[in-house]
Amino acid sequence: MNRSISYAEAIREATDQALGLSDQVIVLGQLVDTPSGIFGTTTGLAEKHGADRVQDYPVSENLMTAAALGAALTGLRPVVCHQRLDFMIYSMDAITNWLALWRFKSNGKSGVPVTIRAIVGKGWGQGPQHSKSLHAWFAHLPGLRVAMPATAFDAKGLLLESIFGEDPTIIIEGRGLFSMKEEVPEKPYRVRFGKALIRRVGRDATLVALGSMVPPAMRAAEILAQEGISVEVIDPRTISPLDRPAILESVSKTGHLVVAEPGWQSFGAAAEIIAAVAENPASGLKSPPVRVNFPDSHTPMSMALEKLYYPGEQEIAEAVRGTLKKS
Amino acid sequence: MEEALIAQYHPADEMRCPIHFCIGQEAVPAALSLLLKPEDYLFSHHRTHGYYFAKGAPLRELFAEIYGRATGANGGLAGSQDISHTESRFFGGAILAGAVCIAAGAAFGLQHQKAKGISVAGFGEGATDEGAFWEAVNHAGAKSLPILFVVENNRYATFSDQLKRQQTDNIAERVAPFGVKSQSLFGNDAPLVWKTLSQAVNSVRNGSGPMLVEAYTYRWNSHVGPEDDGFNKYRPQREIDFWKRNCPISLLRQKLEKLDWIDNGEVSQMESEIAGEIAECFAFAKASPFPSEANWHSRNFSNATPVADALLAEEESTDFNPSQGEAKLAPY
Ligand SMILES: Cc1ncc(C[n+]2csc(CCOP(=O)(O)OP(=O)(O)O)c2C)c(N)n1
Ligand SMILES: [Mg+2]
Repeated sequence: MNRSISYAEAIREATDQALGLSDQVIVLGQLVDTPSGIFGTTTGLAEKHGADRVQDYPVSENLMTAAALGAALTGLRPVVCHQRLDFMIYSMDAITNWLALWRFKSNGKSGVPVTIRAIVGKGWGQGPQHSKSLHAWFAHLPGLRVAMPATAFDAKGLLLESIFGEDPTIIIEGRGLFSMKEEVPEKPYRVRFGKALIRRVGRDATLVALGSMVPPAMRAAEILAQEGISVEVIDPRTISPLDRPAILESVSKTGHLVVAEPGWQSFGAAAEIIAAVAENPASGLKSPPVRVNFPDSHTPMSMALEKLYYPGEQEIAEAVRGTLKKS
Repeated sequence: MEEALIAQYHPADEMRCPIHFCIGQEAVPAALSLLLKPEDYLFSHHRTHGYYFAKGAPLRELFAEIYGRATGANGGLAGSQDISHTESRFFGGAILAGAVCIAAGAAFGLQHQKAKGISVAGFGEGATDEGAFWEAVNHAGAKSLPILFVVENNRYATFSDQLKRQQTDNIAERVAPFGVKSQSLFGNDAPLVWKTLSQAVNSVRNGSGPMLVEAYTYRWNSHVGPEDDGFNKYRPQREIDFWKRNCPISLLRQKLEKLDWIDNGEVSQMESEIAGEIAECFAFAKASPFPSEANWHSRNFSNATPVADALLAEEESTDFNPSQGEAKLAPY
């Protein structure tokens, strides 16, 4: 029987084990060496593995990402941490022009296993510059893998898979998930990229949920079960690569599709998932697919507006009921 | 080599990529070619050819790359301005200052692993307009990284005079307060360039921290390609004439002849050897096949994960309880 630990503890354990497994692993980020340690995910690691391996970095996000690439060229496997995804926008050049295309540009001769941890704030007045989830931007780039772990088990397995994989990866971590517990094996293990998990088996509708929308989607499925609606909940876990076959297979069984994505709707990941299904002549779709996203607006600070801004299980459940009515 | 490429650029239109020629700026890369070791890393801006040569990367693969052939240094995927040669630890790229930051990271990686070698970044004064450049300088100074910054200050970023963009033209002075030792010099005097870079390379190699060398030089050609960009009227003719009179290769030749270290016969023998090598490179490039396979996925992602396979177990997750409340946020 495995112990139950939180999402934050799972990240810390994965990082600790990675540092122990290989001297090539280093952790870079602002305040990674302090007791608060990126919301507990790096606490104590500098003391255990050395402040040169768990290194506080200047507030120079672009340099930090490019330097991680340069360090990877010398054989290291850097883990770059951002307290908020919003801060890493300064590193878009390093990510877009260099990291994502390094393997391509070198004609496959040089790979740069850099892991970027990007935390997305939610609630408690994070406001417009501490809450953006730009996973869809990153997934748009060839050569970059994008993971959206929703639970402690996946947070640990995907982080380890990323650190010891061969391609650059961005891991989107929902700050609201950090306290949620799950049974997590103690040993270092992997969660493969591009392998969706069916979190609940169902017959009537397929509900694909990403990252921090997974817990509310599962709660919505619970609500709907009491109404006699059987929902299949699929968590793709990574959006680049995206497990399109798993989603297609589920929709061909249920005929209905709802996608819940923790981010803006237009040009987002939900649109891509729906396109993948709709493009398939044998999709078996019986009703128009529905997206549950954040409004196409920047995030408000006021808690009154936050409540209106973030969709939860009720909105997701309503979306599923809606698709079933349309058939 | 550059003149030969220019002569071939247009007639057949077989080199279909932007090329930033380095004619007039030969001294710095030539000196580096004598100073760098296989374990050193060299990162270059868009004007790559001199630096590619400086790291001893194979010339025929440069030619084949420009011709877009499968035998090119990057299989025809990168071209002149983005070329790299992994085995030679040479990496170029066109986005200004990006490669300087990567160079700082390689220096950090070498220092962290106590590995032999230094990291060198070659770029123009235009890259120092970028904030990212100063992030790299700051970190290099703060951590005493084994990095050599080499600025070829040719006064212009495309058609824009440095003094329209910056308050002074002395980058060497401005990096000093960051803890980066620096030296500026007339960059067309090859022996002086060699001597200065040699001291700088040794200083960085000996662990004395980062250094920046600013070589004032000039490009003869247009910013990019062989066409004349003089219609932009950004450089006075007498300035061009001055620098052409101070061609680094002619200056070196005059000096060596004066010292009687070289004679006409030796020069023409050298020239014909070089011409032969260039002809061989052209022949190799033109005879090489074009890349044909699309395989887009494996061009962008790895197909194997050997390290993860060796270190990580396979596990299945058990049931997750979704009814837990979300984390209460706090500033830190
Ligand atoms: C980030 C970025 N902005 C703009 C450009 C377009 N650009 C290409 S070369 C160049 C000028 C470069 O001048 P400098 O760094 O002095 O090098 P030089 O061409 O003089 O050798 C510019 C602005 C670019 N490549 N990258
Ligand atoms: Mg210039």
